[in-house]
Amino acid sequence: MLAGILRRVARRLLASIPALFGVVVVTFVLMRVLPGDPAVFFSSGPSAGKEEIEELRRSMGLDKPIPVQLVRYLGEVATGNLGRSMTTGQPVVLDMTRRLPASLELTCTALFIALMFSVPLGVAAALRPGTPVDHIVRMLCTLGVCVPTFVSGLLLIYAFYYLLGWAPDPTGRIDIFAAAPPDITGFFLIDFALKGDWEGWWAAFSQLLLPACTMALFVLAPLARMTRASMLAVLGSDFIRTAHAMGLSRIRIIVAYALRNALLPVLTITGIVFSTMLGANVLVEKVFSWPGVASYALDALLASDYAPVQAFVLLMAMIFVLVNVTIDVLYGIADPRVSVS
Amino acid sequence: MKRRVLLQGAAGAAFLAGGTWPASAQTRAETLRYVTGATINTLDTTMPGATREAFGLSMNVYDRLFSFGRKKVGENWAFDPDTIRGELAKSYSISPDSKVITITLRPDATWHDGSPVTAEDVKWSLDRHVTAKSLAAPQFTTGSLTKADQFKIVDPQTVTVTLDKPDRLALANLCVCYAIMINSKLAKKHATADDPWATEWMKTNTAASGAYIIESHKPGESTVLRRNEKWVGGAGGALPSFKRIIIQTVPEPATRANLIERGDADLAIDLAASDLPTIEKSAKSKVVSIPQTNGFTHVSMNTQMAPFDNLKVRQAVAMALPYEDMFKAAIFGRGTKLYGGTWATVPPDASFPQAIPNKTDLAKAKALLAEAGHPNGFSTTFAFTAGQTATAEPMAALIKESLGKIGIQVEIQKKPDAEFNTLESEKKMPFFTDGATAWLPYTYYFFYLYFTRDQRWNFASFKSKKMEDLTLEARYQTDKAKYEEGCKQMIELFNAETPLIMLWQPNHDAVMAKSVDGYTYQFYRQADFRDLKRV
Repeated sequence: MLAGILRRVARRLLASIPALFGVVVVTFVLMRVLPGDPAVFFSSGPSAGKEEIEELRRSMGLDKPIPVQLVRYLGEVATGNLGRSMTTGQPVVLDMTRRLPASLELTCTALFIALMFSVPLGVAAALRPGTPVDHIVRMLCTLGVCVPTFVSGLLLIYAFYYLLGWAPDPTGRIDIFAAAPPDITGFFLIDFALKGDWEGWWAAFSQLLLPACTMALFVLAPLARMTRASMLAVLGSDFIRTAHAMGLSRIRIIVAYALRNALLPVLTITGIVFSTMLGANVLVEKVFSWPGVASYALDALLASDYAPVQAFVLLMAMIFVLVNVTIDVLYGIADPRVSVS
Repeated sequence: MKRRVLLQGAAGAAFLAGGTWPASAQTRAETLRYVTGATINTLDTTMPGATREAFGLSMNVYDRLFSFGRKKVGENWAFDPDTIRGELAKSYSISPDSKVITITLRPDATWHDGSPVTAEDVKWSLDRHVTAKSLAAPQFTTGSLTKADQFKIVDPQTVTVTLDKPDRLALANLCVCYAIMINSKLAKKHATADDPWATEWMKTNTAASGAYIIESHKPGESTVLRRNEKWVGGAGGALPSFKRIIIQTVPEPATRANLIERGDADLAIDLAASDLPTIEKSAKSKVVSIPQTNGFTHVSMNTQMAPFDNLKVRQAVAMALPYEDMFKAAIFGRGTKLYGGTWATVPPDASFPQAIPNKTDLAKAKALLAEAGHPNGFSTTFAFTAGQTATAEPMAALIKESLGKIGIQVEIQKKPDAEFNTLESEKKMPFFTDGATAWLPYTYYFFYLYFTRDQRWNFASFKSKKMEDLTLEARYQTDKAKYEEGCKQMIELFNAETPLIMLWQPNHDAVMAKSVDGYTYQFYRQADFRDLKRV
């Protein structure tokens, strides 16, 4: 059974390689047809003349025709070299390895918080459709999805940091005066826990809470609505009626029979939500000075800094593939009739 | 929450078990936390692509041979390009023909690694600036510093700089951000055959002697500096007041404003203008507003492109701009006006930028437009960069409305920064707004940089033989009266030809905790931590 799953996972991953290749090529070409010349942008010093711009273009390899650049780039990607960022001056791989854990930690926490609230809310709404409970849930979801994340983020900062002073200052992953944990996994919560530094863990956690809540608010709606819809469908089906007729306890019917069957579409949506969050949380990262990959890519895009943008898109594509495969495996666990292939 | 309270409350306590602060920890009061929206992308400012933040860092970490002094402008401090003092240089003398500068080094100066600063290091650094492929080389040409053999070692403490002609900007060029002095023994260890000037290594490492030493550097997040206790380059040999500097990137301006207002951060210089009134009223923070004496915001017209190749069209536009409304709407009146001058053709003095005699007069503008052969106006585009939206957007709307009244139809184009810069450099925009600041704010240099030659900073693509001659003449002019006369002629020519329309010098607004004092406006528009103190 396990070997079968692994084999299928491997096959799925192999099959995704052409798609990834396509993503690399399309991004590469797209970046170069966008208006804006990075050589001009980055040689903006007060004495940068034509020659200096040409020189920079040469050193960035942009003086060659695009096909030549593409072949060279593909060769470098194959050897794991994603180029150097002009915006930070560091190799892109180094930037990514430092920033991806920050984004993942934020996204996972936000997703966890969102699921903690949306599934119970969705179930509650489904159990009493049309009642005030249902309306309140609907209102909450609409609010969450209507308010842009930068607005809710700034509001939360204003309330909890500026007015009340409960939250630490919303700048980055840890208090600037405190020490960062040893770099083990890059996830601060895990690293602090491994080190046994619970004071540090709490500091990192309280820093994480506001941005994670901001993001969770935004994705509450799709998750809760999907849970509600799918629960309603399942609750109306024959086997639930039978279970009721058999006199099973209400809790057992809802959790063991209805919810388990209703979770499949929620899982699918969760996968999509996770991938979108990782790329789309740029506003949250900006508002909270979170050193993540999305704000990194946006800065690079505005500056026509090719290498980081290309690397970011490639990274997102890879994560998308991985998330999809994971969701498929989880499907199999939730519903044994579904096979990974 | 206990932790936070401790941090804020015990402003003095050397707190934080397991923190990064060393045993002899600096207190919060001795630490300056500076928040900025930008990123320090290189430690070697001479390399193409260096950001303004990188310049600011370099000034604090590296020494140059010389430094500009500072002067009071109203209540506040600004750099003074007319006084030049030694930084790594103890003293200097200039030969009677103004061609040889003899520089004596400070005998007690050391690099961060403890080794002494020698004439050999200085020669190597200067050689690097004129030889290596860097932005220092083109900058240094504006001071006639072009070849390595101009720099000679006399003895271990003395260097001479020899000029072909008495260039008035030679000394000033040794003060700018590119003119860093490098520990040559350290840098040479990391040089390779392909890279004899160690440019790769210096992007991420320093070989410096300046007031601060980099303790940690995470681009896009934070950079931590500690004071160099052996620094001797200060005015009067004084050490800077702050022992530790934390430079933190906080992209959101509203968050930066919150941090300052709450008293958690000490200094920010790039807040939104709309946040300033609130901060001025706040109990914990203050705003220091200093006119950017070396800068100007302008509306440029491409003098090589119809219809702006016609002088009368340019003059008509200059008379149709709603100056007062723009000044209020775009920068809330926080700046110095460069319009509404009270002279007609001959400027009162040789300073530049100064107020040009432009004022709104729609009737006259319409008449000029008719004379130019456009009685019914024409259509054009007006571009600005997305990075300047806050000021340029209201300005563009007002320009569109006002020019509409004399028949000129304006389409507003907001462009991403990289695209705007490309178009500007390729001279493809007919009509646009931008800002500029000159590192060396001498009248001759302004005209040389912004109104001569076919190069990027000639915004209006202005071509004038007379202007070229005047700037060339002024460059090597050693007679002060003759130099000033030439400068006045440049201003006169500029006013007569109207290649671009001067609007204002925006204020440099530095926002800081009430306890921070001594902020100085510098030509590179960044905070100089060496001047700051807590009172």
